[in-house]
Amino acid sequence: MAEDVVFLPVRQLAEGIRARRLSPVALAEVFLDRLERLGPRYNAVVTVTRGRALEQAQRAEAEIAAGRYRGPLHGIPYGAKDLLATSGGIPTTWGAAPFKDRCFDFDATAILKLEAAGAVLCAKLAMVELAGGMGYRQPNAAFTGPGVNPWNREAWSGGSSSGSGSAVAAGLVPFAIGSETWGSILSPAGNCGLAGLRPTYGRVSRHGAMALCWTLDKLGPLALTADDCGLVLEAIAGRDAADPTTVDRAYRYDAGDPAARRFRFGVLRGITDGCEDAVRENFARSLEVLRGLGTVEEVALPDLPYDDITRTILFAEAASAFEDVIESGAIAGLTAPEDRYTAYARDAILAKDYLKALRLRGVMAREADRVLAPLDALVAPGRATVAAMLGGEVRSAIRGTARDVMGAVGNGAGLPAVAVPNGFVARGLPTSLQFMGRAWEENTILAAARAYQSATDWHRRHPADV
Amino acid sequence: MSDGDAVRAEVETMLALVRERYGGRLDAEQLAGVRTAIEAIVLASRALRAVRLTNADEPAQPFAAYRAEP
Repeated sequence: MAEDVVFLPVRQLAEGIRARRLSPVALAEVFLDRLERLGPRYNAVVTVTRGRALEQAQRAEAEIAAGRYRGPLHGIPYGAKDLLATSGGIPTTWGAAPFKDRCFDFDATAILKLEAAGAVLCAKLAMVELAGGMGYRQPNAAFTGPGVNPWNREAWSGGSSSGSGSAVAAGLVPFAIGSETWGSILSPAGNCGLAGLRPTYGRVSRHGAMALCWTLDKLGPLALTADDCGLVLEAIAGRDAADPTTVDRAYRYDAGDPAARRFRFGVLRGITDGCEDAVRENFARSLEVLRGLGTVEEVALPDLPYDDITRTILFAEAASAFEDVIESGAIAGLTAPEDRYTAYARDAILAKDYLKALRLRGVMAREADRVLAPLDALVAPGRATVAAMLGGEVRSAIRGTARDVMGAVGNGAGLPAVAVPNGFVARGLPTSLQFMGRAWEENTILAAARAYQSATDWHRRHPADV
Repeated sequence: MSDGDAVRAEVETMLALVRERYGGRLDAEQLAGVRTAIEAIVLASRALRAVRLTNADEPAQPFAAYRAEP
């Protein structure tokens, strides 16, 4: 099979598979070859799961030949961030040297759900060690090396789902699963010019996923289009007895044409303060496009310490989740020098302050919902900055070196958001636009993102030399 | 005591705790990094404490009594 299938959205690949113009086995071979050949260039891959992939692809091919088509992910290759447990001797490393040989004897629920949908697991993808929860300040914070951006190989692919971002952007897999505690899906999606969907907290089971922060962690897709994100979300969403935070709300992706719909968008006052000029300029151009799709109005949240609320919850829960790794001193084996000691500072968080953050989180969630209730989405730059250079420092709201009200509120309140590319800047790097909605409104924000992508062509551009 | 002095005092107290627990593993440069991280934590905590809440403002945290089903 020729490589002209690379950079086709999942929806188009699925049409080819369903019509039996595309062979799942041949498709898997194309992407497995690219993962093995090009993965090292981007430090994108921890393990190529060739054996499991070919077994799943052969099963898909046989089922489809027998008329048992499971749906749009049947026979579609994908990669999973290496914090999702996989059985069969496939390591699950959490991106961290101390765990680089560790294997589980079970599959994470998301992996099982994708298998049930007929998707083909081709790779475990690189990530920032322990999903960035130890305080890293630089791209080189994984035992696999810094995530390299396919748009500019001197730039970072983003974190912490760095491999999920670079693998999709480089055409190594059609889609990938990432995770977000604060920014780890939207950041690599933005840095790599992709669509990235952070679902509502509780929409997707976290069972079998590394816990960084129990009340903040979410799993979601990175793909070439917002439409593909919807297809993947439908496959991985749903109640799971093994994750008591999941809810009994069935999710069916609504792929209906958003063209006839008029959207009501809100922009938080001062949201571009602190953004790089180029990011601000591309966002202003995006607003012009959005005004063609509906209305755009300025809105405001009350003055609360949003970043501090979410940061305190994150630091406290991460310190507890990794208590064994921190107190045993095993963090000394991590790659980024600052990851070897910064977490010790978290002993300074008092229980009373953590609880205050949880109480303020309730206020934050209610205020965010009040602002969002009359809107279809809040829109904002996906990130305040373009991708950091590999040798540079990563500006991060988590550490307080950047502000990210949308991220603090969105993650702290568990709200869904989708980022899509909205332009390019110097050095050939993409910027992004995010749509954030009320809880459980993934279909609304996906419709808005699809409408934006119907009016623009940024998502149809791909890196040269891949 | 000025606000700045109060912050510094709180940072030093917390740093002493961390030094007591983990000091044997940390060199001077790492301790300086820990101090910077504690400063950020102390400032964040003070920002949280500055917001007044009522007795009715509960943590946004689900808890349910547990009973194993047969």
